[in-house]
Amino acid sequence: MSAPFYIGYNAKMPPATAAFLRRWVVALFVAGAGVAVALAGLQHRYGDGQFEFGIVKSFDGIISESPYPNLIVRRPIGTDAKDVRSRVLLVAPGKHGAQELVRGLEGRAVTLQGSLITRDNQSMIEVRPGTIAVQAAAVAGDDGVPLGNFTLRGEIVDSKCYFGVMKPGNLKPHKACAIRCISGGCPPVLVVRDADGMAVYFVLAGSDGGAVSSDVLDKIAEPLEITGEVERQDNVLVLKAEPGTYRRLE
Amino acid sequence: MTLAYQAISWNRQKRVYDTVMAGGVLTFLAVFVVTGLVLHSEITAEALLIRALGTGAFLLLNVVLSIGPLCRVDPRFLPMLYNRRHMGVATFLLGAAHGGFALVQFHALGDVNPLVSVLTGNTDVQRLSEFPFEWFGLFALVLLFLMAATSHDFWLANLTAPVWKALHMGVYLAYAALVLHVVLGVLQAETSPWLVGVLGLGMAWILGLHVFTGWREWCGDREHAGATADGFVEVCAVADIPENRARVVTLGGERVAVFRYDGKVSALSSVCRHQNGPLGEGCVVDGFVTCPWHGYQYLPETGASPPPFTESVPTFAVKIVMGQVWVHPRPNAPGTRVEPAKIG
Ligand code: FES
Repeated sequence: MSAPFYIGYNAKMPPATAAFLRRWVVALFVAGAGVAVALAGLQHRYGDGQFEFGIVKSFDGIISESPYPNLIVRRPIGTDAKDVRSRVLLVAPGKHGAQELVRGLEGRAVTLQGSLITRDNQSMIEVRPGTIAVQAAAVAGDDGVPLGNFTLRGEIVDSKCYFGVMKPGNLKPHKACAIRCISGGCPPVLVVRDADGMAVYFVLAGSDGGAVSSDVLDKIAEPLEITGEVERQDNVLVLKAEPGTYRRLE
Repeated sequence: MTLAYQAISWNRQKRVYDTVMAGGVLTFLAVFVVTGLVLHSEITAEALLIRALGTGAFLLLNVVLSIGPLCRVDPRFLPMLYNRRHMGVATFLLGAAHGGFALVQFHALGDVNPLVSVLTGNTDVQRLSEFPFEWFGLFALVLLFLMAATSHDFWLANLTAPVWKALHMGVYLAYAALVLHVVLGVLQAETSPWLVGVLGLGMAWILGLHVFTGWREWCGDREHAGATADGFVEVCAVADIPENRARVVTLGGERVAVFRYDGKVSALSSVCRHQNGPLGEGCVVDGFVTCPWHGYQYLPETGASPPPFTESVPTFAVKIVMGQVWVHPRPNAPGTRVEPAKIG
């Protein structure tokens, strides 16, 4: 026989073949580990959002339904400063907004239970269904403060994932999820980055100030330019523009 | 129907193969996850797992696709080929885990069924950069599933070899789909040129290996130009064929293996009935021509497998004149007995 011949159903392979393969297997292990380090290491940062998954806290505030459910609280969450109004967006579990949970509660003082989601200066509560207790009769909410017209460039994200439930919660790999979440009622938010990379968040509303969820589904997770009126609602910036006027940036 | 699939049992080599493979996969996943946790402490476990599993599946597919051509370059890689289907099944399982986690993460708990969401969530087919990359992943997963599910020789026998072989060539389609899945998916967000480089390197390796071995094969497939007499073609000197081995020539467009063994010379088709393996690169073991890929055996005189097996390959008339081997290029029906030419 001119060279050792390998047959798979024999119990042992020729020693020369075994030695040859051992070297290759070791090389493959080393190469595989190297590729794993490179691919895992070379990814972008995943974002600093926090989701207090499984931690349920109690919150007091006034319900506002528009453009997306939010809770007006008396101080920024997590600080002791009194008498400062702050708005916290509300969402439901899964890929759903909190519209059903707060329907008809506009302007009511409530306590509710949920888990905090935070990123940068934004906060959101994933409300536990069935925990909203109405405390008082209707209280008039404040109007927003118009800040003027602006043209802004950024990406539409679903605020729930982007603020901390999923990392990364934006761009192409997350596009389908963002579509699902916004379709389910989670507030669509335009993330605009300034020259230093600092993010500013704009909750998207129609020119009438209402929700635009189903009208932005084909414009999510891609570079956009939106021109519209910016309104400050306490700490939240709302950008009012018709989705038909959003411009895609190639 | 063949009985061959019952003859191959789970021997020590298979156990070693599976253990080494599982060890490799687990090492890759562990290194990926640990690196991710160390360098990206902010990451969530689900995202890390999805990326580790997807990357692992794709890398393993690169290995699977390398084995065939590597065996053509050096037969010492053949043990990798013998159980290659195990690696194919492992690739599918990794891909299925990746897809399953992604399905739950990105599509579950929404306002439509998760599978519907995969197919109808993003439908922007007009622009390449926005194309729903999930479709390519799903398509590849379905192909990998079909191949994994039919990887057993039971299916090879029942689907017939050509159908089975065609189905399993789908691995190249799956590879192409996965390249698109990666390029139109994660690489739209992760823009490090190194990531593109790693993908490109893998593709260049796979393509280069296939082109190189294909070219060598093509050169070898050129019609043998020997002297002819009485319809026979002069092939080579008896002394050119090592004992128990073959010399492969192309006659009438067919690869013919001319074996020398036991003071005799026989010629039969070089294409194995099992999966078209290169019979002519095999060896005569215990009087049987044995295929180097999975060890199917044929009697050199008849081209027939020993009972109870029923495979057989075409044989060719052969004679020796003054130390030179002459073969008639017309194939006999598979299993036809041909008198071997006696040496000396
Ligand atoms: S191709 Fe499998 S034994 Fe020949």
